[in-house]
Amino acid sequence: MVRKIGRDFLYRYEENPILTAEDIPFRCNTVFNGSPVKYEGEYLILFRVEGLQGYSFFALARSRKGFFYKVDEKPVMLPAKKGKFAKYEERGIEDPRITFMDGVYYILFTAASAFGPMIEIAKTEDFKKYERIALVSSPGNKDGVLFPEKIKGKYARLDRPIGNDIGSIWISYSDDLIYWGHSKAVITPRPGYWDSYRIGASVPPIKTDKGWLEIYHGVRMTASGPIYHAGSVLLDLEDPSKIVARCDEPILSPRENYERIGDVNNVVFACGAIVEEDRTIKVYYGSADTSICMAMGDLDELIERTYNG
Amino acid sequence: MPRKFGQDIIRRWKENPVITSEDIPFKCHDMYNAGCIKIDGEYLLLITIEKLDGRPAIFRARSEDGLFFEIEREPFIASSTDVDFKEYEEMGVLDARITALNDEFYIVYLAMGRHGIVLVLGKTKDFKEFERMEVVSQPDTKAGALFPRKINGRFALLEKPRYGGSIWIAYSNDLLTWGAREVVLTPRAGFWDQGRIGCAVPPMETEAGWLLFYYGVKKTSAGTITKIGAAILDKEDPAKVINRSIIPILSPRKLYERIGDLNNVVFSTGAILEDTGEIKLYYGAADNCICLGTTTLSEIIDFCKNDLEAF
Repeated sequence: MVRKIGRDFLYRYEENPILTAEDIPFRCNTVFNGSPVKYEGEYLILFRVEGLQGYSFFALARSRKGFFYKVDEKPVMLPAKKGKFAKYEERGIEDPRITFMDGVYYILFTAASAFGPMIEIAKTEDFKKYERIALVSSPGNKDGVLFPEKIKGKYARLDRPIGNDIGSIWISYSDDLIYWGHSKAVITPRPGYWDSYRIGASVPPIKTDKGWLEIYHGVRMTASGPIYHAGSVLLDLEDPSKIVARCDEPILSPRENYERIGDVNNVVFACGAIVEEDRTIKVYYGSADTSICMAMGDLDELIERTYNG
Repeated sequence: MPRKFGQDIIRRWKENPVITSEDIPFKCHDMYNAGCIKIDGEYLLLITIEKLDGRPAIFRARSEDGLFFEIEREPFIASSTDVDFKEYEEMGVLDARITALNDEFYIVYLAMGRHGIVLVLGKTKDFKEFERMEVVSQPDTKAGALFPRKINGRFALLEKPRYGGSIWIAYSNDLLTWGAREVVLTPRAGFWDQGRIGCAVPPMETEAGWLLFYYGVKKTSAGTITKIGAAILDKEDPAKVINRSIIPILSPRKLYERIGDLNNVVFSTGAILEDTGEIKLYYGAADNCICLGTTTLSEIIDFCKNDLEAF
């Protein structure tokens, strides 16, 4: 794990990728976009599997030390086949992001259907039983992440609706996780930058003394398709619709073959991170929509770097 | 107003248009649509007028007979300068839809800003003072209309998110936070409403269910054609569609509907149900003038149920 000059702020785990379709105990097309959590002394990753039929669902991987993962024999969340959610999940469920709050693991994910992508919330307390709570956005919205504590007494989430063909990150608030409002635009694409086309929340916000650290993805459109990078921003602790500081440069960019080549080329797409006791941040990210990887960095260095723009 | 064979279900007033730019007491580009309400015998329209600076705002117009209107000089709702709303309304406000609810008048309108198009909810007691309440959608969402009563204990709102071009319903306990969304009506491939659809007139409660006038858009090689159709939604669960007309009830045919800043458009944001059962549908034509069409409640309900003219 040697960090090279001129490469990214986050350094890659040398055995990347940590999960590929080869590691899955059932046939599938690809695996990507997973959210990690420490649970009962184990590392878990709830991640997106794209089945051979083309729609996605979630599986769970487990590891003692967080490097070598074993995947549960069966998927843990499949698109609902009946009930009120079925209609809005008929093309799959995608990109889970876990937030732990008051003993509950909340999972925000994208429900895909003919009506368009919508943000849905589910919860689990034991990673055995998963319970859907509500669809919480209009269609055309993705990349929902829940803050790990209430802000001024309300739940808060970031998400990515599209207005004027611009994909910006918005914040919304709720008393009950079901009815949401008081929405405001927070972070917008920057013309000319690596995040000029679209941006979206990636990792659920991490509380730091300089503000909420949000690791987000930014997309630049090119003649041969999009390039997905990861970047960082600090949001005000009391009013996260205000930006404290935003880093000019990405913290991770597609460079390795496993990030450059896959079903969707040139993608690094984080869905979660773990902060270790020694303040190492381990960011888990999908690469090229084909495998799951990890990259690490010093959290305090990342905060400082973001704070200084 | 005799109905001609082969024409539309909605009968046009023979003196259409009701309001053109000649009637506006100041210079403007054009006008789009009008929300409407009848209070103490007076007809009140909230017209969207595009001012010469290019930004639309919402103006009051008043009439004793519903035919000849006086338009006010000052906007009733213009782009807000308030810090909470400014960046969402900086490019203009338009398409006010009025709903009478709990002795107040609620208005849902579209706000355009750097982040796209969102719905804003506000209210007034008397159409003198207007109070903005909250941005109630994320972008891009249009065609917002509040139901005139709570349904199973919750407020209900129709809206048209851009993605998918369908009409959705959302519910709320406090009018400020919204959720429990369901899709209500979707575009129909091959039909006149194949491109995208949205609520036109805020739903009217009838014995048959909620009467919904909606607009439907068809894309052609020369642009879009916007028409008006009708549907009946279940009273207690409006996501259930009871009837939906196969054919439109009003299509652009007259010159004033064909030619304007946006050609081939009939588009409504309000109608008045008279005590006699007559429905006065005020509609914008070609983004250029406001027109009046009429039908009756029984006629339109009957039409939605039978739709015999489709073949």
